[in-house]
Formats: sequence, structure tokens, C-alpha cells
Amino acid sequence: MTKKMKTGDIAIRVNDVDKSFKVYFDKANTLKERLLFLGRNGHENREVLSDISLTIKKGETVALIGVNGSGKSTLLKLMTKIIYPDKGTIETYGKLVSLLELGAGFHPDFSGRENIYFNASIFGLSKKEIDDRIDDIIAFSELKDYIDNPVRTYSSGMYMRLAFSIAINVDADILLIDEILAVGDQHFQDRCYEKMMDLKRQGKTMVFVTHSMDAVRKYCDRAVWIYQGRIKKDGPTNEVVDEYLKMCS
Amino acid sequence: MNIFKRLHDYREFLRTSIKKEIRGKYKKSFLGILWSFLNPLLMLMVYAIIFPIILKSPEKNYVMFLMVALIPWNFFTTAITQGTGTVIVNGGILKKVYFPREILPISIVTSALINFLISCIIVFVFLIFTGIGFSIYFVFFPLIVLIEYIFLLGIVFILSSITVYLRDLEHIIGVIIMVLFYGTPIVYSLNTIPSNLLWIFKLNPMAYIVQGYRDILYYQTMPDVSGLFFIFVLSLILLIVGYHIFNKLQKNFAEEL
Repeated sequence: MTKKMKTGDIAIRVNDVDKSFKVYFDKANTLKERLLFLGRNGHENREVLSDISLTIKKGETVALIGVNGSGKSTLLKLMTKIIYPDKGTIETYGKLVSLLELGAGFHPDFSGRENIYFNASIFGLSKKEIDDRIDDIIAFSELKDYIDNPVRTYSSGMYMRLAFSIAINVDADILLIDEILAVGDQHFQDRCYEKMMDLKRQGKTMVFVTHSMDAVRKYCDRAVWIYQGRIKKDGPTNEVVDEYLKMCS
Repeated sequence: MNIFKRLHDYREFLRTSIKKEIRGKYKKSFLGILWSFLNPLLMLMVYAIIFPIILKSPEKNYVMFLMVALIPWNFFTTAITQGTGTVIVNGGILKKVYFPREILPISIVTSALINFLISCIIVFVFLIFTGIGFSIYFVFFPLIVLIEYIFLLGIVFILSSITVYLRDLEHIIGVIIMVLFYGTPIVYSLNTIPSNLLWIFKLNPMAYIVQGYRDILYYQTMPDVSGLFFIFVLSLILLIVGYHIFNKLQKNFAEEL
């Protein structure tokens, strides 16, 4: 079915992707060590993902589920181009924002406002685009007057709220979200979900990695179960989650 | 080519990185960006006091003779030493978010360029004060700056990416820079070199560049145009090759760091 789909409808296409990491026993980083241990450079390749093929349509909300270490986060990292596959291709269509690590690149000495500019620019926004959004970002973060204080004075909750507000306001076509639903208190979490549902209605594509099956059932149209680096089951949320929970118990 | 499109998309990030590089250098210091003026000024004053005492140079104005070469040399060393480590220093953010990795070396070399141009203001002021002044050959100044910038960008692309895999490079570079300092006509003039040793300078691109600055600013003569053109072409090749090396190696940055 994936072959017949028009390119215009596709947000992410993953083709036969393999990925393995080098696991060094004792990493030889210096020239001396490299020369000394030439030929017995101790590493093994650990396969993290193999034969992954996945097509995600525009506007879909997809959950990646699976036990720890099954390769979900690696797959998300591949989609953001932080790392590259050993084999196969990954294509993404449209502006992509990953909420893998919130607040990456925050500079503790700069104020919240300055960090909005810096962090949003990492997502590829121009100054004007940030100017247009800054009020929304500050309002969503509920930081109010604290926004002009240095970020190092923030509590961890405030820090995450600011980071999340920036990422969610970037206006991306595709959002990759890795276990960030532990952001802030109940009130803020509710607003995060609300905002994400809002984005979903606007036709944004979202890929979640989460262990909260309640959230998966509630918000996702489709679930992909990854088991030991391979796709075990891919289909409507409830079917996949039921089977996954059966195996876990 | 899509590198230009990528850089255009991320121009705000490039701009803030350069700004952070310049401002971050003097962050929390009392005088801030003024240090970019003060550093060369104080250096000049120290030399002006010391050299007339310890060194009898045939040069009329040894301090200016030295400064017009030393300031471009400092541009070279700052860009190279900071550029070599830039990918490693930014490892944390590199592992977390995607952005065009080229921005890291580009922002280092560009912020070094801006610092260099600020220092040049001091040099120009003193050129006027000491009565040396400017000549028509000053028109070559932007061209030589451009050549040095392209040359550095090419080298930094190569060094910053290879250092990720071979950390010793940072230390090796320190030694090479020290040797190169004496292999470049900075503290001495090319005229004092025995002619059977001149071939060494023909192999050193920085010798052409530094001599170029000295010709137009201090001696106020025509620079070695064919030599500089040769370095310009070499720098362009270096930039293209360097970018390809960087691009090939950057795919594994997140895993190696």
C-alpha cells in the first residue's frame, strides 16, 4: 500500500533502515593508543535497528511503543538527522522539529527572553519569525515577569516550560516528541496536550515515543510496536497496544 | 547548491552564534568588547617600549613593521586554535538538536575576522599617528583579508572535523603554529633571509598573506599579486576540499562525541 501513495501525502518515509552503534570496550582516542592497539581496536557493532520500513502520512499521530532499549529513540534521532543510518534512507517532507531534548543550547547567563531567540534560531527561525511569536511563547510558558531573569535562576519546572513553549510554537509540520509529557505540573501538562490536539487539528504530523499507554490510546491514531530493533506490529492504536500489554504482563 | 539554502534558512542561528562567540569571549569581564581594542593597543605599547631597547633593527619604525604583520597572524592563530576544538566544545548541543553543522566552523572564523577588523582600527590609527599614513595600495587590503578568510575557513573545516576522531590534533596544531610563527616573516623581514633559504617561504601560504599586508600597509608598495592570486586559488580549492571532508565526517559526529 505504501508504494501507491502519492509523495504529496507523505510526511516521513523510512526505507529499509539498518543502524548499529560501535560499542568500544576501551575507546582508543589518541594517536598513541591507536598505534599501540592497531589491529585490536576493541569494538563490536551492536545492531539497534534493522529492516525498518515505515511510512507516516501527513496529519497522522503515531506512537512508537516498546520496552526500554528497543530502539525507539534511535529511530527518532534518525528522523531528525542527528545520526545517519548505515543502510537505507529516511526522507522527511516539511519543517521538522524534535522535542527530544528540551532546552538544548540554553545559555544559563542569558535571560529567558534572550534564550528564546537563541533556542528558536536553532530550530531555523529567522529574527522576524521569532519576533512574531515571542508573545505567544511567553504567554504559553506562564513565566510572566521571570522572562527577563537569567535562566540559571529558574526552577527545573520553569526551565522545561520555557523550552516546551518555544518548541511547540515553532510552527513545524512534523513534531517528534520523546517522553516529554512529564513536563511541569498537571495544569501545564493538560495545556500541553490541549496544544498538541490543536496542532493535530491543524493537520500537523506527530510522532510520539512514550510509555504511557493511556496517552497513546487517547491521542494517537496509530501505534508502531518496536521489539528488539524490528517492527513487531504496526496498526490501529488499540489493537497494537492490547497485544503489547499482553506480552508485557 | 543546497548548503547555501541551508545557511540561509538558519541565518538567524548563524548570526546569534557569531554574536555569542564575540560577546561570550568577554562575558562577565568589566570592559567587555573594549578588550578587542585594548589587546592590540597594549601589545603595541609593550613592543614600543621594549624593542627600541633590546633590538637594533634596521627598520625605521620597527613597532609598526611588527604590528601590520602580527595582527593578521593573530587572526590566523585565533581562528585555527578555536576552530579546531569547536565541534568538540559544542558536542552537547550537537547530540541533541539538528542544525547545519557547518555553522560551527563558519561562526568561529567569522567572529575571528570581526575581532581582527576591530584590531585593525588600532593599527590604522597608529599608521596615521606615526606618519606612515596610507597609500593607493590600500585597495588591496579587502582582497588580502578575503583571501585569508577563505584560507582559514578551508583549514578550519578540515581540522574541526578530523579532531573529533583524533583528539591529539589540538596539541599538534599548537606546535605547528609555533614553528610556523618563525617560518613566517613577522618579527623579521624577508630581505634579511639568505637567498638559498627563500624556498621555505614559497611553501608557506601565510608568508604570502602576511607579506602582502606588510607591503601595502608598511612599505606601501605593490604586493606580490601573482603570489597572492596563487594563494587565492589554493584557498578556494582548500575550501571546497575542506567542506567535503567536513560534510563526510559530520555524519558520525553525534556518535563519536
